[in-house]
Amino acid sequence: MSRPAWAGRQRQAVVVGIHALPFSKNIGMTERHGGGLAILGALQDAGLSVADVDGMYRFVWEGTTEMEMARILGIENLRMFGEVDYGGGAGCPAVSHAALAIENGLADVVVVWRSRNRSSGGRPWVSQLQATGQDQFERPYGLVRPVDGMALHTRYWMHKYGWGPEVLGRVAITQRELARRNPAAVMQKPMTMDDYLGARMIADPLRLFDCCLETDGALAMVLTSAERTADLEVTPVYVTGFAMGSGPQCYGMTFYYDEVLGVTPAKYVAPELWKNTGLQPEDMDVVQFYDAFTPQIPVSFEEYGFCGEGEAPAYMLEGKNPPYNTSGGGLSEAYVHGFNLLLEGVRQVRGSSTTQAKDVQHSLVTSGNVVPTGAIVFSKEPW
Amino acid sequence: MSDPGLDFATSFPVPMPDADTQPFWDGCERGELLIQRCGYCKKWLWQPRPICSGCQTPDPVWTRVSGAGFVASWTVLRPPSLPAFAQKLPYVLLLVELDEGVRLIGFLVDDAGGWLQTDGEAEGIHMGTRMSLRFYDQAGTILPSWTVAS
Repeated sequence: MSRPAWAGRQRQAVVVGIHALPFSKNIGMTERHGGGLAILGALQDAGLSVADVDGMYRFVWEGTTEMEMARILGIENLRMFGEVDYGGGAGCPAVSHAALAIENGLADVVVVWRSRNRSSGGRPWVSQLQATGQDQFERPYGLVRPVDGMALHTRYWMHKYGWGPEVLGRVAITQRELARRNPAAVMQKPMTMDDYLGARMIADPLRLFDCCLETDGALAMVLTSAERTADLEVTPVYVTGFAMGSGPQCYGMTFYYDEVLGVTPAKYVAPELWKNTGLQPEDMDVVQFYDAFTPQIPVSFEEYGFCGEGEAPAYMLEGKNPPYNTSGGGLSEAYVHGFNLLLEGVRQVRGSSTTQAKDVQHSLVTSGNVVPTGAIVFSKEPW
Repeated sequence: MSDPGLDFATSFPVPMPDADTQPFWDGCERGELLIQRCGYCKKWLWQPRPICSGCQTPDPVWTRVSGAGFVASWTVLRPPSLPAFAQKLPYVLLLVELDEGVRLIGFLVDDAGGWLQTDGEAEGIHMGTRMSLRFYDQAGTILPSWTVAS
């Protein structure tokens, strides 16, 4: 394989450990407890120990800081640490930061995790009555749920591109079927188009099954350098490249006050990603697109360049797309700010998915496309 | 972790202005919709900011606008929502593009500025519908809102 266009990296980062606690409606422990166990599980999966860890990255929205987690686990010294903001946009960027630290020799074994009691802990939007900043022009109107912001985008996309509700329904049904092949997925009940169309509206035109789950989950990933894997028994999953992007006039969830309507930050991530990896959409054997809501799937196929603008429904209906969200994703496996998508992207390269794509060389994972976001390509071979 | 001084069961979210946004809310109190416009490059700016993001000139000028515009997008809010909104559902949330080119969130209200419990069908709301500005008093917070233009 050719070296990516983005040069300057001294060594390649690899994923060597992943772990998820069972997804549930009530995990029965604190987020720091679940996060700690997930990290230990991922280290065990890698054949590494706490003593090896010298870097840590998290979501800003993670309730446990790196300092606290390092203290709990007994990590001697974090040489690199940090956090990435913007909710579901943070997953791939946090892993990218970990890879950057490794590539530049600033850390050798870096942990990234997400632990969130989003079910048993309640809805984060219910208690925020004093609206500052961006929120003061939104929350007084009851625009408080992520689905409300997404509904305004979706109405526009449906109008502009002529999507019927079935375009979204097929995404929900596809992912439900994938979840049913995955024993770890929360949702195991079959879904028909009648089930989809007959479900109640939450924020028109988005129905119940357009929305992701509300899950308690704790997941972690361990990265190290390719050279460090010589004495490990794991099969390394190579980080070929990644990119981040905000686009202009970006607001979390509601980027529609200025600039062109309907374009998400992912549109700005995509060209950087393909430049940085030296790859193209057609090189991706499987994809995990961030899916807090169904419309993010067709929009992601378009904005990442798998098909042209407005072409996604036909492209997907004709089956031209690579397999997507093969664990069931946020819609039907679990919603943990997309960290389950990252684990599934790694599993696809390892060959251990419950819906394994064929001959996976490259596996794409993206983070939330309506907030500042990022994407990452995992590969079977080094660059 | 509810906010101090606000009863979660009955209170609507309230704006917490700072020096960069206070003029907007003061304008609403007077029944005026104020949008910032750069004094140098004349770019209309929303949301409020201390520096023009078009040409970086500080202190954009608060400028009264008519509020006339069209529906750039819209949704109908349905349960679950905050307790205070429970009795007001369903209602239409608008993204209105002003004739100046910026887009604001607003309620759909009747011609007198009164509440409309509706899914927007009776009012004929669709993409592109022309809208006129009203102000809706939500428990003392004066919120720019829109009615279908006559």
